[in-house]
Amino acid sequence: MTELTLGRVSADRARLLRLLQEYGVYLGVLVLLLVNIAFTPHFLSGENFRTQAVQVAPVLVVALGMALAIGTEGVDLSVGSVMALSTSLISLYLGYGVWIALLAALLGGIVVGLANGSLVAFVGVQPIVATLALMVAGRGLALVMLPQLKQVNDPDMAALGSGDLLGVPYLVLIAAGLALLVAFVVRRTTFGRQLLAIGDSRPAAQLAGLPVRRVLILVYVLCGALAAFAGVLATARLTASDPTSLGTLMELSAITAVVVGGTPLSGGRVRIGGTVAGAVLIQLLTATLIKHDLPPSWTQIAQAVVIVLAVYAARERGKR
Amino acid sequence: MKSTAFRRRTSARALLATGLLTGLVLASGCAKSEDEGDGDKKSSAQEGGEAAASSDTSGGETCTIDAYGGKKLDLKNATVGFSQSEKEANPFRIAETASIKAEAKKRGVKLLTANAQSQFSKQISDVQDLIAKGADLLVIAPLNSDGWEPVLRSAAARHIPIVTVDRKINAEPCKDYVSFIGSDFVEQGRRAADRMIEATGGKGTVAILLGAAGNNVTTERTKGFEERLKEKAPGLKVVFKQTGEFAREKGQQVTEQLIQSKPGIDGIYAENDEMGLGAVNALKGAGKKAGAVKIVTVDGTRNAVQGIVDGWISGVIESNPRFGPLAFTTLDSFAQGGKVSQEIVIKDSAYTEDNAKSDVDKAY
Repeated sequence: MTELTLGRVSADRARLLRLLQEYGVYLGVLVLLLVNIAFTPHFLSGENFRTQAVQVAPVLVVALGMALAIGTEGVDLSVGSVMALSTSLISLYLGYGVWIALLAALLGGIVVGLANGSLVAFVGVQPIVATLALMVAGRGLALVMLPQLKQVNDPDMAALGSGDLLGVPYLVLIAAGLALLVAFVVRRTTFGRQLLAIGDSRPAAQLAGLPVRRVLILVYVLCGALAAFAGVLATARLTASDPTSLGTLMELSAITAVVVGGTPLSGGRVRIGGTVAGAVLIQLLTATLIKHDLPPSWTQIAQAVVIVLAVYAARERGKR
Repeated sequence: MKSTAFRRRTSARALLATGLLTGLVLASGCAKSEDEGDGDKKSSAQEGGEAAASSDTSGGETCTIDAYGGKKLDLKNATVGFSQSEKEANPFRIAETASIKAEAKKRGVKLLTANAQSQFSKQISDVQDLIAKGADLLVIAPLNSDGWEPVLRSAAARHIPIVTVDRKINAEPCKDYVSFIGSDFVEQGRRAADRMIEATGGKGTVAILLGAAGNNVTTERTKGFEERLKEKAPGLKVVFKQTGEFAREKGQQVTEQLIQSKPGIDGIYAENDEMGLGAVNALKGAGKKAGAVKIVTVDGTRNAVQGIVDGWISGVIESNPRFGPLAFTTLDSFAQGGKVSQEIVIKDSAYTEDNAKSDVDKAY
């Protein structure tokens, strides 16, 4: 074998790997779809796709915010607790009407985002530590406000949770709309470019005179607001506020969706299409295991395998 | 690089962040929920079911004050200490504490209470405090089964009789403590199976929404249900077993997957009320009619019993939190020199179409 062919082989291999990193998540979704169509009874039905889409909607909304945070080489562990906080606030303020309750919930998320952002941007706390603090505090606060599950009987909330427009559930429309919006922000706005520049290299962004702190705070505020909104969606679907369990391990699902979708943890890139596919992939994986009645622990193991694969791909990219 | 001025400013910003959070807490003070003002309705219900609480006298070993050590005393002149494990935030704990308090009041016994707020170290010091404050007898709802040695030692030194409720402690009965009063979770599973067999006619397929993994309540409620099904209705098959982690949202999501992959399912056994209510949500969302899929749950909270009245749930097996009457009867007869069982099973009632409407106010 000559050196030339050897070089070409490894170049081909690298290209293949890169393609897999970029589009592997779509391939994964396709494979799971085909497997399910072949082996899962009643999978190919509108009703089933509706269920999967509705279940994935809140996760996706959280993952969109997470993608922004990860794009700045950060992370937000407080998203699950923000959902709990949001569901408590809805219940507490529903007496003033659904819009005030919605506003209160979003404000809760924004305030937590402000706290996260301030800690990261001004105090210089590592994002993982800053948001860990708010993760613990947020759930505690949610439980102080509403110590136990409470039924939500508001008809508007119920309509948001189970209604649809021309057969497409509101939840799915909202999640899709937000995904488009966030994709637009990342690609077409100054804020989006600044965010990626900070993720690439914060010192360089600082030297270039970018408003690093403002952008960072805004990123965590957006992440908090999106998580709070996801909390609203989940509450509407459940027609109850359950701060004890709503959003538990949500940070894990959201980070998985983002990373599996091809957004590197090292920042500087945000892939919204991939994030959507990543969220769908996890949903399909969970659904497949549940529908085939496999032991519940398998779901967690399967998720772990997917994460390891995604991180492996990221490592290869780093070596390149 | 960082100047002191810069540092001062950053701490100011951090303060701002903390301030914002505090503001949020305060803001909840002017909150107004959907149904402000019907808070009183519940408290009456907690006492409603008291009369229903009585024991199945199990034939196990007994304990007397002579064997345990200590002096006879009259409960009326005694002080009883009650140590609760978790914050009274969920219906079970609320009803449990209310029941103990109500019974003490009824008997005119002086009661000292403490709440460990889910911290075991606090519960240990709580109980030691109760002893120091002069409790002659103790009722403990333990957070953990293990780690009670320091407390048991100080109680033994003063020959203080201890009754534990709802959870056992790992120690020697009639030496370290007098008796344990609790529900039989396996039996709850069996009764749920009986109800399911009745509702489905003993034929078809059922799904189980399991509780949290690794929890003894989950394993025991599953064991009782599956055994009874096998023994009494071999035609009724368990075809689906997935965890809903005792949470409503998870119960709803799992049921949504279930009714799509197995649309012909006849029954769903939910190992707690919350998951059962999640299942109801899922069935409603899928456009099923009330009663099309038979749901049986365990716990006996008011929302689930209301679900029977509304036709969505076929049966609720109660897990009785009203330990007050039984705990005090046990302590009373023990303190007067009587024989008491070392393990007392509290009687759990059940709700079906027949009694749900009339008894919904007794549910906790």
